[in-house]
Amino acid sequence: MRVVVAEDQVLLRDGLARLFRDAGHEVVGLAGDADEARSAVAESVPDLLVADIRMPPTHTEEGLEVARWVREQHPGVGVLMLSQHVYGGVVDLVSGRGFGYLLKDRVLDVADFLDAAQRVAAGGSALDPDLVATLVRRDDDALDRLSAREREVLGLMAEGLTNAGIAARLVLTERTVESHTRAVFMKLDLHGDGDGHRRVQAVLSYLRAQ
Amino acid sequence: MRTRWVLAGTTALLYVVGSVVDLLVERASGWYAGGLRELLTFAPVVLASFAVGWLLVLRRAGGAIGWLLLANWLVLVSFGFASTYAGYSYSPTSHGDLPGARLAAIWDTHGWPLLFAPFLLVLLLLPNGTLLSRRWRWVVVLGVLSFSATTLSGVLGGERLDRPFEDVPSFDVLPAPVHAVLGLGLPGMTITVVLAATSLVLRYRRSDAVVRRQLKWIALAGCLLPVAILSSTFLDKTPDSSGLATWLPFVLLFMALPASIGVAVLRYRLWDVDRVVAATVAYAAVTALLAAAFVAVILVGGVLLGGGSPITTAAATLAVALAFRPVRATVQGRVERSLNPRRWSGEQLVDAFLADLRAGRREPEEVADTLARAVGDDDLRVYYWLPAQDSHADADGHLVADLPASPTARTPVRRGELHLGTVVHRPSVRRDLEHLLMRAGLAVEIARLRVEVRRQLAEVERSRARIVTAALDERRRLERDLHDGAQQQLVAIGLDLRHLQAGLEDDSPVRHQLDDSVQRLGSAIRELRELARGVRPATLDAGLGPALSELAGRAPVRTVLDVTDERFARDVETAAYFVVSEALANALKHARPALIEVLADRVEGRLVVVVTDDGPGGALAAPGSGLAGMGDRVAALGGTLTVDSPPAGGTRVRAELPCA
Repeated sequence: MRVVVAEDQVLLRDGLARLFRDAGHEVVGLAGDADEARSAVAESVPDLLVADIRMPPTHTEEGLEVARWVREQHPGVGVLMLSQHVYGGVVDLVSGRGFGYLLKDRVLDVADFLDAAQRVAAGGSALDPDLVATLVRRDDDALDRLSAREREVLGLMAEGLTNAGIAARLVLTERTVESHTRAVFMKLDLHGDGDGHRRVQAVLSYLRAQ
Repeated sequence: MRTRWVLAGTTALLYVVGSVVDLLVERASGWYAGGLRELLTFAPVVLASFAVGWLLVLRRAGGAIGWLLLANWLVLVSFGFASTYAGYSYSPTSHGDLPGARLAAIWDTHGWPLLFAPFLLVLLLLPNGTLLSRRWRWVVVLGVLSFSATTLSGVLGGERLDRPFEDVPSFDVLPAPVHAVLGLGLPGMTITVVLAATSLVLRYRRSDAVVRRQLKWIALAGCLLPVAILSSTFLDKTPDSSGLATWLPFVLLFMALPASIGVAVLRYRLWDVDRVVAATVAYAAVTALLAAAFVAVILVGGVLLGGGSPITTAAATLAVALAFRPVRATVQGRVERSLNPRRWSGEQLVDAFLADLRAGRREPEEVADTLARAVGDDDLRVYYWLPAQDSHADADGHLVADLPASPTARTPVRRGELHLGTVVHRPSVRRDLEHLLMRAGLAVEIARLRVEVRRQLAEVERSRARIVTAALDERRRLERDLHDGAQQQLVAIGLDLRHLQAGLEDDSPVRHQLDDSVQRLGSAIRELRELARGVRPATLDAGLGPALSELAGRAPVRTVLDVTDERFARDVETAAYFVVSEALANALKHARPALIEVLADRVEGRLVVVVTDDGPGGALAAPGSGLAGMGDRVAALGGTLTVDSPPAGGTRVRAELPCA
């Protein structure tokens, strides 16, 4: 996997690059702000751009602008956004292909982080569990009808995990996970019971519609 | 100019020498008793015309008026010298028939018309030395002709001379027809007097305030004429009208006339005329009334108790003493009202305003409008002095560094040593204004204090808003520091640990210890994140909507949002966020509601935030509670926070924040 890391804090940027390298990925570009990120992406066209949402000069939403630019200019490049706090403004982008959003400290769970990064690079999605939790915690009659396990599965689907990923996370068999996902779709009156991006889209659009 | 000064000096010298000679001659003749007395009373009269005449001539003011006064002086002096000379010549000790002594004696009797001629001409020329119009030249001609004719017919007409020259033969050289024609001079003089008076009246009517005041001075002096006539007619008991009652009013008249002419032409303290007129009339009236009262008491007392009783006199004195104050107050009020209705009505306005002020019906700041109406100056403005700012301010408390250039006049308002402010007004109303300010000064001071307090309050409000905004900014900075500083450092350290871990053998015991350390780091980062959100949620950068939906998403009860997408000033959004945050916390802590509704929208320039829960109600924003603190912050931003929490009716927190 060829990766560009965009992060204004040098220590963190180097740490991230090292993390990818340790895992056997190739870091093809490092950027300290939005402009550098754009040129790095344009230059090396990586599989994945990992970018901080807050970057110089204004430290507000530079990362999001870069993400939108990448989606327009290089639709094949996956974008994984990182931030220090739960940022609701990304849900729009996540429902598109090849987009992820995680809190920064998720990088410390190396395996899950790399899994999410690879998913995004492959055109899948990744949504931070904290953000998913705020979505799923919504007061909603349909959601109330879900069992605790079904809610868990719904959240993991929203995070972008595949059935295999969900099974691994919950220590269940894939078949059991499949039956849970079917139940969730039925109870929420959703269609597209697949195992890919369309499923994430359906789940997210349901959760966001509340 | 120099010739005038030389002329003035020469005449003054001649006059002094002449007067001394005159006195010495009278002394020498011995028969003209009371010469010194006459000189002492006559001299001020002569001097008045002389001094004022030269003053006007030297100042080149009032055209021919100065010269006419000098002419009057010359006439007066000629009378003085003529009578002395003739008296010296015809005295019992007989110094012989001196040359021209007969003419001097005749002049003493028949020269009198010339005493009035200069003053009559002055009346036509007042106050600036020009006639009312060219047509009035004929009046001047008529005056000169008729006065000359009368003088001539007197001097040459063969009539008997007055005492003490009754034995001196007069000239009788006029043929009868000429004498008859010259006789027309007397009616001519009368017509001239009437026309001169008419000219004055016409001029007064057509004039502005300044000229009117100039003319009033003359009128004031002219009032002495009827006094003099009445006095000489009714009070003088001497057979030939030479007593004190005759000559004193005339002396006063001939002193007052030049003096008032000088004041009018030179405009010196012109504006005091109304006060002097009013005071003169008022005191004359008071004196007359009290004298009448005294006489009445004496008469009644005389009838009842017999004449000369000391009781009567005492009672009369007591009555007058008791009546003095109320009579004076009433008469003065009446006189001022009729003589100066504008000032009088101005006083009434101010007094009514002060009464309303005391009763709370009007505001002290209305003193400016009241003064403007009282003096009739729409441009009048009052500016209050603020010593702390070292500047004036208007009634709204706005500083006015430079008072407006127009209108031009400025009158300071003082109370003792204290400078209260400045009234900017038209110059013409200064007198009336100063008079009224003596009454209205207290109202000005109250208004000034209120302006000062308002300014200080506004300043305190502004500084409170600044403090609250600064505190909100400080929260934002702190949140940034936590996220971008401490949190990032911890993540970087975690990554380092993970890197170290990657280099270790799979079964190394350190590996597990590192896992543990990284997990603890993760907890620390999450705790920091919660802390930062408490300080200020970063989502507020994206707007109130995202921040509130995140907040609602974390609430353990169903929370329905209806929040505008509009962006507001950062401090407004932050304050609104914390209102909702505190209201939610309050509801969750005390009310256990099933549903919370949050509404935020712009209503008429204000961001209105309403948080309603369906709990049991009865919540109060106790001092020190989160909601009370929120109320203070909202108030600091110029907003309001209300908590409506009827028992069993749910709680409704409503905040309104100005958002321009």
